[in-house]
Amino acid sequence: MTTLAGGRPWRLARGRSGFALLVALYGALVAACLLSLAGAGELSLGRNPWDNLLKTVGEFARPSFLDVWFGPERLEYRSDDGTLLRVEDRRQVEADFLAALGRATWVTFQIATLGSLLAALLALPLACAVARNLRAPRPLALAAKAVLDVARAVHTLVFGLILVGIVGLGPTAGVLAIALHSMGTYGKLFAESIESLDMAAVDAVRATGAGEAQVFFHGVWPSVLPQFVGHHLYVWEFNIRDSTILGLIGAGGLGLLISEAVSLFQWSRLATLLLVVVALVMSFDALSRRIREALR
Amino acid sequence: MTAAVQLDDVQVAAAGRVLLQLPRLRIEPGERVAIVGPNGAGKSTLLRLMAGLPPAPRAQVRGVVQVLGRRLAPAPLPAAQRRALRRETGVLMQGLHLVPRLSARENVLVGALGRLQGIQAWRSLLRWYPQALVAEADAALATLGLTDQAGVRADRLSGGERQKVALARMQLQQPRLLLADEPTSALDPAATAQVCAALVAAASGPGRTLVTVVHDLELLPRLATRVIGLADGRPVWDLPVAELNPLTLQALYARPPAGPAAAAAGLPPPTARLARA
Repeated sequence: MTTLAGGRPWRLARGRSGFALLVALYGALVAACLLSLAGAGELSLGRNPWDNLLKTVGEFARPSFLDVWFGPERLEYRSDDGTLLRVEDRRQVEADFLAALGRATWVTFQIATLGSLLAALLALPLACAVARNLRAPRPLALAAKAVLDVARAVHTLVFGLILVGIVGLGPTAGVLAIALHSMGTYGKLFAESIESLDMAAVDAVRATGAGEAQVFFHGVWPSVLPQFVGHHLYVWEFNIRDSTILGLIGAGGLGLLISEAVSLFQWSRLATLLLVVVALVMSFDALSRRIREALR
Repeated sequence: MTAAVQLDDVQVAAAGRVLLQLPRLRIEPGERVAIVGPNGAGKSTLLRLMAGLPPAPRAQVRGVVQVLGRRLAPAPLPAAQRRALRRETGVLMQGLHLVPRLSARENVLVGALGRLQGIQAWRSLLRWYPQALVAEADAALATLGLTDQAGVRADRLSGGERQKVALARMQLQQPRLLLADEPTSALDPAATAQVCAALVAAASGPGRTLVTVVHDLELLPRLATRVIGLADGRPVWDLPVAELNPLTLQALYARPPAGPAAAAAGLPPPTARLARA
C-alpha cells in the first residue's frame, strides 16, 4: 500500500485506511462528474434512442456494397405529390462509391506507410541519444528526450490540424502528422530495445579496438534490428488505424469518406467503410505477425 | 626496453576492502606469465587492471599502471590512445560475450575491425570484409575445429564453442599483449589442448606477451614460462615454471585467509620473492 503513496508528501495514502481513503476520493470524483452532468441536463439519451438504435443497427446490417449486386437498378425519388424528381441506378452509384473507397484506402495506406517510415528514421538517432547505456552527452540526451516526449504527448489529429494550416489539405499533412506523433512512440520503443541489450557483447566489440561506428554496427545494430522491425510493424499497423481518422480533418484518405457518411447519416456506407478498415487492419496484423515470427 | 606491463605500488580497493596490493610487477615483452591462486585472490582483478577495464565495480585504483608503454592509471588515457591500446591488447574473459545474432565467422571478424583502415573500415560497417581477412577467420576457426559452425549464429553455439570463437576473435585482432582469464574453463580435454595450442601460437610472434589466469595447474607448463602466485590480493611468489614444485602450489592454495584472525594466530608473513628486476 505504501507504493500508492508515491512521493514523500503523499503520506495520507499509507496503509489500509489510506487505501480506503483513496477509494473514497475516487468515488467522490466520479459522483461529482455524474452529478454535474446530470445537473446540466446533459445526461440524456435523446428523444427516442430505441428507435434510432434499431434504425442504425438495421442499416449497419445492410452494408452499402451489397447494393452493387442486389440494389434496385432504377430507384425513383418522388416528391409528396408524386412528381418524379430523380432516378438513380443504385448498382452504378455504389460501384462508383466502391471505386472511390478503393482509392481512399490506398491513400490511407500510403499515409500510414510513409508516415511510419519517416517517423522511424527520425526517431532512430534520438533513441540512440536517449538510451542510457550508449552514454550520449547528457545535454543531448535531455534534449532528445524532450523532443520525444512532446511528440508523444501531442495527438496525431492535433499535429494534423496544425499541419493542414501549414502545408494545406491533402495527404502530405497526414504523412507529416503521423511522422511527428509516431516519432515519439518509436523513440521510446527503440530506446527500450537498446537499453535491454547485452552490453557484455558491446564491450567485447569495443575491447578489440573498434571505432564507435564499428561498435554500433557490430555490437548494437545486429542485436536490436529484429526488435526494431517488430516495433516498426506494430506502429505501422497502429498508424493504418490512425490515418483512417486523419481524413476527418482534411488530410485525405478514408477519413474523408467516413466524415461524409456520418454527416449524411448514411449508416450503410459507414458499415462498408468500417468493414474495409477492419479488414485492412486485420490482414496487416496477420502479415506482420508472420514476419515477426520469421525474424526471431 | 619498455615493459609489456609495469605496475608500481598499485592498490585496488572497493567497498572498503583491499582487493589487490602489488608493490612492483614487471612483465617483459615476449614473456608468458600465468597467475595462480585460490578463489578471491585477486587474479581476475589484476587481469582486468592490465586490460584497462574497471577492476571491480566502484573500485579505486592507486599507484601507476603502465601497459605497452602507456600509462593507464592514475590518470585515465585520452580516448584515442585508449582505443589504440585496446587494439593492441587482446582480452579473453567471461564478461566479454559474442554478439548473439552474428554468425561465428562474423564474430571472429569483429576482432579484425581495429586493423582495418580507410575505405575498408567504412565497408566493415556493412559487414563487408576483405577476402584475405575472411580466409584468415576461416583458418582460425578451422584450427579450433569449428569449420562446420562458421555460419552458425553465436547464440546457437554451445558454451565451449563460444569460448573457442572468442579465442579466434582475439587471434584476428593480432594483439601484442594477450590477456586470458581461465581460457579453458568450459572445455573438454581435447578442446583444452586445442585452445592452449592456439593461445600459445597467437602469443608466439616477436614481442608478444601472454598473461593467463589458470585454474587447471596441469596446464602451467604449456601456457607459461613464469608463474605468479597470488593470495589475498598479494603476490606470494614469482617463479619460473621450471622451479615450481607441487609443494609450493599446495601451500598457496592451503593458505588460510589473511586478516585480523590470521594475524592474531601469529602466522609468519609470507616469504615473498617479488618482481625479478
